[in-house]
Amino acid sequence: MKKKECIAMLLAGGQGSRLGALTKNIAKPAVSFGGKYRIIDFSLSNCANSQIGTVGVLTQYRPFRLNSYIGTGAAWDLDERDGGVFILPPYATQSGGEWYKGTADAVFQNLDFIDAHAPEYVLILSGDHLYRMDYRKMLKSHLDNNAELTVSVMRVPWEEASRFGIITADADGRIAKFTEKPRKPDSDLASMGIYIFSRDVLKKALVEDSRDPKSEHDFGKDIIPKLLAGGHRLYCYEFSGFWKDVGTIPSYHETSMGLLDPKPEFDLYSPEFPVMSNANIQPPHYIGPSGSANNCMIANGCRVFGSVRHSILSLDSYVGEGAEVTDSILLPGAKVKRGARVTRAILGEGAVVA
Amino acid sequence: MEEVIGLIAANYSSSGLGELTEERTIASLPFGGRYRLIDFPLSNMVNAGLNTVGVVTPYKYRSIIDHIGAGKAWSLDRKNGGLFVLPGSVFGISNSSSRFLLRDISRNRVYLLRSPAPYVLVSGANIVCNMDCRKLIEAHLKSGADITLTYKTAAEDNPFLTGLRVEGGRVVGMTRGVRRGEPAFLDCFMISRSLLLKIVEWYSAINYLDLFEVLEEDYDKMDVGLCEFTGYAAAVFDTQSYFRHNMELLDPAVYDEVFSGERPVMTKVQDYAPAKYLDGARVANSLVSAGCVISGSVENSVLFRGVTVEKGAVVRNSIVMQNCVLQSGAQVDNAILDRNNVIPSGTVLKGTPEEALIKEKRADQP
Repeated sequence: MKKKECIAMLLAGGQGSRLGALTKNIAKPAVSFGGKYRIIDFSLSNCANSQIGTVGVLTQYRPFRLNSYIGTGAAWDLDERDGGVFILPPYATQSGGEWYKGTADAVFQNLDFIDAHAPEYVLILSGDHLYRMDYRKMLKSHLDNNAELTVSVMRVPWEEASRFGIITADADGRIAKFTEKPRKPDSDLASMGIYIFSRDVLKKALVEDSRDPKSEHDFGKDIIPKLLAGGHRLYCYEFSGFWKDVGTIPSYHETSMGLLDPKPEFDLYSPEFPVMSNANIQPPHYIGPSGSANNCMIANGCRVFGSVRHSILSLDSYVGEGAEVTDSILLPGAKVKRGARVTRAILGEGAVVA
Repeated sequence: MEEVIGLIAANYSSSGLGELTEERTIASLPFGGRYRLIDFPLSNMVNAGLNTVGVVTPYKYRSIIDHIGAGKAWSLDRKNGGLFVLPGSVFGISNSSSRFLLRDISRNRVYLLRSPAPYVLVSGANIVCNMDCRKLIEAHLKSGADITLTYKTAAEDNPFLTGLRVEGGRVVGMTRGVRRGEPAFLDCFMISRSLLLKIVEWYSAINYLDLFEVLEEDYDKMDVGLCEFTGYAAAVFDTQSYFRHNMELLDPAVYDEVFSGERPVMTKVQDYAPAKYLDGARVANSLVSAGCVISGSVENSVLFRGVTVEKGAVVRNSIVMQNCVLQSGAQVDNAILDRNNVIPSGTVLKGTPEEALIKEKRADQP
């Protein structure tokens, strides 16, 4: 990919309120996952592995933890001289200043940033998703179709289709219909919320949408339908592979536990397309003489003196002597003290169970 | 801390480490699951606030440069100061009492000349410890001594460490080997930059010697002081001490001290996923690194990154380095397996507690 052919705008402003206590004090993309990662690692790593060297991260809700985690972007090789990662929060202007009103509004308010890098294409991503994707393939499809907008889609089980934005496409992949959460879906292709726009198409659409007082300024609800209605060249790119939006506590727990399968659906160990993270340097974990570990993942820095079964111990966790941890997730720094029992639980960062 | 620059001698080796140091110097020796010995002095210096450190590399420097790179992991990838690679001339000086080869300091004296800092903190690279070097720095500045040496009272006889002869609180000489209860030099000292440059110049004719060898007769002309270190310090000189000190990390008290959060040991980062234990895994009293996949049995061992222990494989009392695979039915006991070894099913590798069996490094697979 030529430099600045395509830049990414990563939406990381949401709370993810259905993750309850996990997002009380931090934004959803900053939530720990898989022992040593934070959810945003997956989209940032995808950008790095797809040779996208300029990424704007749109923050809003509780951004402090996320901002410090991203830092200079070095952990994802995004500390470049002519690009790299840029944190883009809402900002004040001479005429006031607004919180981001929606996903499209967030990008609209940063059109100057996009123009400063002058890419031909803009990739819109969410920082909430767990998946591995080479965006160059999606860009190639965008170019091959001479599209103005390409939407990444995935086949979902028909029973679940009504939960998604559903796309009906013709044989060439040209989008004919787009319906949010249809009661009677006529297609099983769900929008993943990943878009590639040709820059001028994006600009025009966002500017027009900003003038519409009835709009919710959301890509899925407003921008896509308007472009479709306007007869623009919208195409879909079919993605196959693991992809998850862990938006609720049950799905967070289930997806995490899925990593513990002997042959997990989502394999974290891929040397060709690594998931990079900004983990603190911690020593290898230690399991004591009376400790035990079965069917689990244990990150660096952990000290295990009790029994851990079918669980994830994130960085720097502790399980005391005689303690039992089962079917659970300990987020970084969590401590389960001597003799305690933790079953089917998620312990937040630094939580202590005495 | 602009007053002090660092200098680490990573250009020497020891014949006592056999195959382990055939393709690496002692400073490059993997240790503790994910570190290399040079990480300890380098992290100690950076944690004490030094932001300029020169590393004297051996002639064969690929392995050490690959590890330290531009110093990013130690925040030494800087505009002002930073990490300086100082190429040395010799691959491994087998005489382990020569850590500070004058010739290699002389060849790189531009590093000393270009810095305005008044002091240099010098260290070897084969002693594992988490040391607050600010104490040494303060002691040196306060005492006004020419050189201040860090020492630890030896807990047992050791023929490899350097002993210090002390009279009236001043160092008057050095001995090869140290007796229990005597001060053992920890290869870490403070010296003024101008003095170091002068010594290099005065003794240029015999610069094939170690710094302290040339100073042998000069203790009466200089003021050489001491600073005591009372924490855990482990000197790696031969396979026995290498084995023993890795195993000492299995003691939670040692683990907590060496890997203190207050002064973290920094090392090159690699993006391995967390270790995974499958059904039937049995593990006890062991250090296990990221990327390991354990289905078999692991006891009293140190596993480096990416090690696979298949179901039915048993590893005990051993050190297993990066990317080794212990296939089902393999048995490894009292061994040191260097990188990339695949132990086939049914193989039994047994050393003894006195002498670990060593399997040398294999090439990376394409």
